[in-house]
Amino acid sequence: MGRMSRDRRPDPVGWPRYAWGAGLVALCTGITGIMFPRFELSDLIMVYLVGVVVVAIRWGRGPSILAAVLSVAAFDFLFVPPHLTFAVSDTRYLVTFAVMLMVAVLISTLTVRIKEQAEIARQREQRTSALYSLSRALASTRNLDAMIAAVRRHVEEVLEGDLEVFLVDERGRLEIRAAAHPFARDPKETAVAQWVHEHSEPAGRGTSTLVGAQALHLPLVGSRGPVGVLALRLEPDRPALRTDQLHLLETFASQTALALERALLAREAHRERLAVEGEKFRNALLSAVSHDLRTPLAAIAGAASSLAQSDDRLDASARKELVLTIHEEAERMNRLAGNLLDMARLQASSVVLHREWQPLEEVFGAALHELESRLGQREVVLGVPDSLPPVPIDEVLVERVLVNLLENALRYTPAGSPIELRASAAPGEIVVEVLDRGPGLVPGEEERIFEKFFRGESARSRRGAGLGLAVSRAIVEAHGGTIRAENRAGGGAAFRFTLPVTGGPPEPPEPLTETGGGR
Amino acid sequence: MNADEPTVLVIEDDPQIRRFLRAALPAHGYRLLEAETGGDGVTQAATRTPQVVLLDLGLPDLDGLEVIRRLREWSAVPVIVLSARGLERDKVAALDAGADDYLTKPFGVEELLARLRVALRHAAIVGGSQASAVFVAEDLEVDLGSRRVRVGGREVHLTPTEFKLLALLVRHAGKVVTHRQLLVEVWGPGAVGNTHYLRVQMHGLRHKLEDTPARPRYLTTEPGVGYRLREPSA
Repeated sequence: MGRMSRDRRPDPVGWPRYAWGAGLVALCTGITGIMFPRFELSDLIMVYLVGVVVVAIRWGRGPSILAAVLSVAAFDFLFVPPHLTFAVSDTRYLVTFAVMLMVAVLISTLTVRIKEQAEIARQREQRTSALYSLSRALASTRNLDAMIAAVRRHVEEVLEGDLEVFLVDERGRLEIRAAAHPFARDPKETAVAQWVHEHSEPAGRGTSTLVGAQALHLPLVGSRGPVGVLALRLEPDRPALRTDQLHLLETFASQTALALERALLAREAHRERLAVEGEKFRNALLSAVSHDLRTPLAAIAGAASSLAQSDDRLDASARKELVLTIHEEAERMNRLAGNLLDMARLQASSVVLHREWQPLEEVFGAALHELESRLGQREVVLGVPDSLPPVPIDEVLVERVLVNLLENALRYTPAGSPIELRASAAPGEIVVEVLDRGPGLVPGEEERIFEKFFRGESARSRRGAGLGLAVSRAIVEAHGGTIRAENRAGGGAAFRFTLPVTGGPPEPPEPLTETGGGR
Repeated sequence: MNADEPTVLVIEDDPQIRRFLRAALPAHGYRLLEAETGGDGVTQAATRTPQVVLLDLGLPDLDGLEVIRRLREWSAVPVIVLSARGLERDKVAALDAGADDYLTKPFGVEELLARLRVALRHAAIVGGSQASAVFVAEDLEVDLGSRRVRVGGREVHLTPTEFKLLALLVRHAGKVVTHRQLLVEVWGPGAVGNTHYLRVQMHGLRHKLEDTPARPRYLTTEPGVGYRLREPSA
């Protein structure tokens, strides 16, 4: 605190304070002059004492001492016999003078101390409230940038400088977050920040290290080690921070460090979770790809080698069987490759839907056309009302959904059972259904079958683990719709997805006038 | 080898695809010429005048579109492009640049033969053979001269726009026609991009011609590319 009071200059420096002190002594002299004929000298001295006390309270120690000396001089000169000389006839008055000086010094010292303590209390109060509001702001968010913004706002408000925060990145290097002030981009300043980070010691302006820096850099040290650096730049013409301000900044820094550490740990945990999920996904991908690619490959290789080596020993029907195997398995691999590609494309964050308003029946027709050979004689019941409004969809992608759902139905249902494909309009959306009369879904797996590479426990959901359904879900969700599967009353599975419809298509204009012949 | 057999030039860098074609095409009455690069393909197209070109869009030396442009500078030879699923935009670009049709890899020999057959028939019509004024495919009958359309012997009334669209598809029967080509022909170049106009008319047309519009026999949709009217019955 001693250093603090030395640095403090609560009142304006300079002569006006002393002039006020001298003026007050003059006033006291006037009053004493009026009282002089009717009072004892020992009473008159009290007037001066009051003046000295007032000066000490109002203008501090220096002016009060000046006032004491002036009071003694004036009293001696004007009122103590012999009058109008500084000579003193009675030595008692010397004691009076000494007491008066001592009282002046004592009172002014006490007053100054009280004023200082009041000031300290005020600052402590201000600091506490600043810290409180900062800690509240820090606790209200888990976002790093929001935290840094809060620190910047509070520190800049209290200390009136430019604040920047450097944070440790994943590789342990310092990075500037959301720099708002140009000094933070100065390589010299970042070098100082780096030094501070490595040494966990303050440096820069106002310290004893790297004093040439524009800003004061403080290390941000959390409970587990350094998390970054806080840099405060004051205008070059401003004096360096006072000790109390420095303390305040340090307190801000330690609070900030703890909050940032918390956020960094949360971020790290999130990243680890993602990495684990990514790892799980990669494993599922690998096992699915190796299974789903190897199975058809094994069949193709086996069939082809049989044909190549023992063609003459195979009868026509056996040869045909082998050739069909090769064909079917190759198509299966092609479907898998297509789904993998679709999935990869849909997962790329930049999926752009090429939406166009169109009647859904076009996409139905295209999907059924694509599956024509596989559908064979399978009965397909179509339910598309003529009144169905057009939908804004990416036809290439929605056709994939239908192909995947129809293929799924073909694969898991007996050859003779019918497949239904229906569409209906609901408020704000169109509902599409693919219904079958197969064995249905395993209870509890209705949701999981849409997961990538989901492989059910039962035989009916094992083969050719679906990417198809995962692709379908990704496409439907990209359109803003939902997809769901459930068992039907009366047996079989129902796959239902929605496509949102808002607004309507633009009105088509008249076509070109006829050019070739009349109507 | 019969000199009357049509010649197919395949421009494809993948040896396995060429090998498959080498085995499959002669068995179905085609002679096969092979080019591994776009440059060689353009040269062979000029020197050996094939009747059809099969062009892979992913060549190492030249962009498939560039090959089409070079061929189209002097030749009307039908070009069928080979491309993978998911690359609809490439296919559309190739078709709009002058290719006649496309095949999505992997493709079966049946599909390939159908495309070749359609391409050769159109080349023959352009080459001067009499184009039939009456188109017949199963129950659908379109008389371009008298502008009459019949389904199963029953006359169907089309709007002028519908008829214009249908006539255009009839002229390209069996081949895919892109959205852009249809929009330009029927609505004019200003309508390109407004595929919605087209879909409304196709919807109307399908409901008049097809028994089951959601599972059409005649007018099929090629998602992201355009429409195809089926080949006429032989």
